[in-house]
Amino acid sequence: MTGLGDRILGLGLLVLAVAYGWAAQQWPEPFGGAEGVGPETFPTILFVVLVAGSLYLMIKPDPDAQWPVGKSALELVVSVVVLVVYALLLEPLGFVLSTTLAVGVLSWRMGAAPKRAFITGLVSAVVVFVLFNYGLSLSLPAGLLEVH
Amino acid sequence: METIGFLMDGFAVAFTPYNLMFALFGAFVGTLIGCLPGLGPANGVAILIPLAFTLGLPPETAMILLTSVYAGAMYGGRISSILLNIPGDEPAMMTCLDGYPMAKNGRAADALAASAIASFVGSMIGTLGLILLAPVLAKFALTFGPAEYFALFMLAFATLGGITGKNQVKTVIAATLGIMISTVGIDISTGTQRYTFGVLELYEGIDFILAIVGLFAISELLFFVEHRMGGGRDKMTVGKLSLSLKELVSTIPTQLRGGVLGFIAGVLPGAGASLGSFISYTIEKQAVGKKGKFGEGDIRGVMAPEAGNNGAASGALVPMLTLGVPGSGTTAVLLAMLISLNITPGPLMFTQNADIVWGVIAALLIGNVLLLVLNIPLVGFFVKLLSVPPMFLLPIVTMVAFVGIYSISHSTFDLYFMVAFGVAGYFLRKLEIPMVPIILGLLLGPEMEKNLGHALVLSDGDWSILWASPLSIGLWVVAGAGLVLPYVVGPILRRRMNAAMKETPVSD
Repeated sequence: MTGLGDRILGLGLLVLAVAYGWAAQQWPEPFGGAEGVGPETFPTILFVVLVAGSLYLMIKPDPDAQWPVGKSALELVVSVVVLVVYALLLEPLGFVLSTTLAVGVLSWRMGAAPKRAFITGLVSAVVVFVLFNYGLSLSLPAGLLEVH
Repeated sequence: METIGFLMDGFAVAFTPYNLMFALFGAFVGTLIGCLPGLGPANGVAILIPLAFTLGLPPETAMILLTSVYAGAMYGGRISSILLNIPGDEPAMMTCLDGYPMAKNGRAADALAASAIASFVGSMIGTLGLILLAPVLAKFALTFGPAEYFALFMLAFATLGGITGKNQVKTVIAATLGIMISTVGIDISTGTQRYTFGVLELYEGIDFILAIVGLFAISELLFFVEHRMGGGRDKMTVGKLSLSLKELVSTIPTQLRGGVLGFIAGVLPGAGASLGSFISYTIEKQAVGKKGKFGEGDIRGVMAPEAGNNGAASGALVPMLTLGVPGSGTTAVLLAMLISLNITPGPLMFTQNADIVWGVIAALLIGNVLLLVLNIPLVGFFVKLLSVPPMFLLPIVTMVAFVGIYSISHSTFDLYFMVAFGVAGYFLRKLEIPMVPIILGLLLGPEMEKNLGHALVLSDGDWSILWASPLSIGLWVVAGAGLVLPYVVGPILRRRMNAAMKETPVSD
């Protein structure tokens, strides 16, 4: 079926819109009684617009985009995992180590030779760390490398 | 005459060594950002926002930095158009048509120099237009009431897809999603918690800066990963400059035409820089007639679109500064900076924050001179950087984005949020949901709701106030036209643009 992507998106947006619109009706009436515009008025309008838009997408979808399959998709998942792990390790490992790893892995996966990739990571990490901590006196976490 | 006084004050702000330094830095970084394929101006400005923020720059300096980046990116876009036949950003597309053939004929240096001069002229015309038009428009905008503002916001969203927009429904969906995200947090007027799910971090709403950086920078990285465009490109040689003064003088009318047309396209809602350069190119082609060798490396074919897109870039600042309603992605990102500096954009800015507005305008003028000076001798340096493969560059850019976001709040929660926005951005871009309306929705959502509320309080709950005055009716009509016209005119214009692209033998 063509336009599957848009149809799924439409369905997802419809669910989102309904949940969003429903939640808006649950808020307690603000103190002092209802006025012309309550906290739910604007979200309700948005709910209507999004429902209309998502129905249109499902009825008249655009042709599908090329979705990555196999190795490309795997590379994408790897990249996202690297970013999440980077955020996770930033404080415990410290900026320089985590950045070397993150930038290194990313540029290695994008096609650089592993050694050059990790050297790029290390150099950029040290430059940014020195620039931020000493040049701009904004502290980035030193982590394991912290000198007491 | 008042304007000249303000402009002088603006120069006084922009000429302080501190601000001048940031203008120079911005112009340099901007050119870099513009010339690297895949790092568009909106993207570049977005990454710099958190940095400008954490550095604790004073508002006028921060704005000067970012506008210089913006102007620089418009200059930089042409470099890869000419040398690689790949536009560095979308508006530079038309520059490929004659720029690349010129480079192939061994006149790369001439094409680069000529386009730098044309960019300068276009930008100057655009900035002069901005100086003349903005105060008038700001004064006019003071008569707007909340109902008019609400209609104006609708107009901004309706025309955002642009006259060449493909699927208007997707623009509407994107804008709605953006506004919906902006409703998260505690409602300002009633104190009701909306969509916070009891998560403390959500009480203050979702910070649009991290949404912007995620949607632009992280999704860009994912796109590069998917297309495996990590490898470098062939080295290009620039050659010697053989541009004669006579050639420059004879193309002055071209540059003037291009700049003026571009400025008009920039100011108008729904047109923007891409259309500006397209119109300048086609009109130039018609004006010159059969004498020109367009598509085979005519120098006028490089100068017209460059003057056009730089004129449009300054023109696009007019609605952003005077009405607080940006018409393009990059100006939307600039608006984000203003809002996070706690400056309410709109007509009042011209009176309440005159130093910032005029400082920025003066910085544009200075920035242009700096850019011209930077671009002619340093072009070789930028060309070298072009050959740095994205596989090293993009991870570093991503890291800078991480650092910027982290140093705002020192919380890793924000980083996860940013990555989530990046992944969402990737899927939405794949499905051709445009990013810019989402950003604009995020930025304008709270203002829209506030104005709607005010209008209805004034009318005692009568919704017809939204279209009660002639002015608001006019705005609604234009908004409606903006939504419907692309269905009528869009296919024709798109076909013409494609035809123009195909006329030239694009070969590698």
